[in-house]
Order: sequence, then C-alpha cells, then structure tokens
Amino acid sequence: MTPDALPLLTAMHLADSSFPSGLFAFSWGLEAALAEGQADPRDLAGWIGAELHGRWHPFDRVALAGGWRLDGAGLADWDDLVDASIPAEMQRQQSLQAGAALAASARRIGVALDDGHAPVVHGRFLRLSGLTLPDALAVSAMGMARGLASAAVRLGRVGAVAVQRDLLALLPRIAALTDPPRPDDLPASFAPISDIALMRPLASRLFVN
Amino acid sequence: MTAARVGIGGPVGSGKTALIEAILPHLAAAGIDTAVITNDLVTDEDAERLRRGGQLPPERVLAVQAGACPHTVIREDPTLNIAAADRLERDFPGLDLILIESGGDNLASTFSPDLVDFWMFVIDVAGGDDIPRKKGPGILQADLLVVNKADLAPHVGVDLPLMLDQAQAVRGGRPVIATVCRRDQGVAGILDLLRREVLFR
Repeated sequence: MTPDALPLLTAMHLADSSFPSGLFAFSWGLEAALAEGQADPRDLAGWIGAELHGRWHPFDRVALAGGWRLDGAGLADWDDLVDASIPAEMQRQQSLQAGAALAASARRIGVALDDGHAPVVHGRFLRLSGLTLPDALAVSAMGMARGLASAAVRLGRVGAVAVQRDLLALLPRIAALTDPPRPDDLPASFAPISDIALMRPLASRLFVN
Repeated sequence: MTAARVGIGGPVGSGKTALIEAILPHLAAAGIDTAVITNDLVTDEDAERLRRGGQLPPERVLAVQAGACPHTVIREDPTLNIAAADRLERDFPGLDLILIESGGDNLASTFSPDLVDFWMFVIDVAGGDDIPRKKGPGILQADLLVVNKADLAPHVGVDLPLMLDQAQAVRGGRPVIATVCRRDQGVAGILDLLRREVLFR
C-alpha cells in the first residue's frame, strides 16, 4: 500500500454502510412518502436528489462543516444553533437520537465524542478520524443517498440491484453538491414534503422516521 | 457502564415479552434495579404493553425501532440500542440491569457482544419439538436457551423431556430452562442464573 492510498481507504472505511452508526433505522420520511404515493419507487433518484438538494446541501452539509471545523465551546454553541434550526420537535429528537448512536459507536473505538445533532457529531467524528472537509462532505452526502436507497430496498419497493442505477446516476450530482460551505453559512433546509412525511403517523412503521 | 445488559431474543410469539413481564416481579423482590429496552419491528406495542403492565415506571421502558431489520439492530449495528442503554444509565444512576428485548426473528439471530453481557434465546414448544435439532446460531450460541409454554406440550404433540434433552445435547450441556411464563413457572430459575452469571449478587 502506498501512503497516498490512506486517505481513500479511510474515507471508504468510514463511508461503508457496515460502519455501525444507527442510520440504517432512519428513512427521513421516505417510508411514509412511499406508503402514501408521494415518492415514486420508479423514480427513487428523483426523491434522493430532492433530499440532497433540499435537505442535505443547505442543512446537513453546513451543520457537518461546523462540526468538522469547531472545537470546545464553539462546537457546543454550533450544536445549540443547529438544535434551534430544527423547529419540528420530532425531527429534532430524531437528529439527536442519530447523533447519540454515532457518538456511542465512536466512543467505543476510542474517538472521544459528545452527543449532539447527527451532522455535527458526524463532522467532528470524521475530522478526528483524519478526513479532510471535502472528503467528510462526500462521505456524508453519499451516506444519505445510500441510506435512502437501502431503506427503499428493505421496504420492498425497489430491487437491490436496480437501485444501484439510481445511485450511479446520482454520483455526478453528489460530487457537484459537496462544496465546502463558508464558515458564516447557517443551516436552513427546505424539504417540506419529506419534513411532513417523516412526522406523519403510519399505522405500521418499520423505520424511526 | 455499571448495569448488566442482558439480551432476550427469539422467534415471534415465543414469549419474550411475557418472560420480561414474569421476571420483573422477581427482580423487584430481589432489589435489582431494572430498566427495559424493546426492539419492536413495526410498532411500540411491546414497550406499551410493558408500560401498561405497571411493573416498571413508564420512563424505564424505552422503545428502539429496528429499521426493518431486527437482527441488524442487535448485531451488525447495535448502536441505537447501545445509545438507549447509555441513556438509561445516565437517567437512572445505580441501575443494576437493562433487559434488551429483540424484535421477533428467526433462529439465526444473535446479539452483539458490544451490546450485551449475556443473552438468552426464547423458543416455545408450540413452534415444534424439532427446533433444537434445527440448531441455528440463536439456539447454539445463546448463554441460556428458554423453552417456553411447556404446559402446551401435550396439546401440540411434543415430548417435552425429549425436546429438552435434545436442546441440552446440541448446546453441549449449556443451560436450558423450561418455563411457563404466563404462570410464573421456571422464571425463578432464570433469575438465579442471572444472579450467578451476570449480576454477581
């Protein structure tokens, strides 16, 4: 192995869906949207693309970058700001739940992390694991896309092979979205359909949201 | 971490929640401070059932959703359960025991050693006396195999002593306990084992 391969190997390891982070149990509204016909399983790339543009890019990307950049009191303040930027209580609690799961995993492999909101904890974790900010953003965006695709597969609405076409088609868009935000950018998402879907009660729900 | 973490797995309907309902009074009588995490597949039904039962304050029963994968949330990615257990320990200092109930799953389900210190697998006689012979990681690897609904054996054509003998044989003599959780039969034996092997008190 050449030393040059180490950053790529680290990113691959941390982006692997087998890395325990609890995220497999979240669909971020996709479960309800598929059940109620708002998401089309034949156009999963459309739903994932909208989530990347409306939620990940303006919110998770910015929140994660703050978690990656900041330390100490600045990090705690940033997590408070992210907390205040999620007005829906259920969504706020689920972000904290996901952050706690990742932090629990990280602590057990020797990375000292406090609980917090999922993207903030993720950013901090990826920096402490040695990733650059651009690589951390790529890992995060790809994780959201793959997580949504995996949820659709487990819901039985798309095939495990067919969904790879959606993900491959999305890669150029994902790459274009992973520009590091400015330090003064603030997180603010606009994904009203999935925001409502993830809060909508379902008679039988397999995912956290 | 100070509280022992004990997993309870097994197929749907084998009596995992009934076992918890049956053992909670024994734990309370023994002064063992307990909380429970449930991993329902679809709803919070098991958690709600335990809360309604009133044997524990409702805040000591947490529900963790399994994301369509009951085995993933206890084995491949147990972090949601680990975080829930950590939260219970933070919220209830001095907790002695956290029972973590898996969603109903097949004979291949096992608990991650990251998550639990000890785990039991619950089957029932009505599922057929061939279950131990089918082996499966749940049957073979659990620290304790519980054969529940023992009273149904004559009604479903099961030779209970033979079933228990075969269970002992495939498990190489590791513990097997027959129970009727609904009638509190055999449950004290589970508590004795937990006290000896996990709680050390």
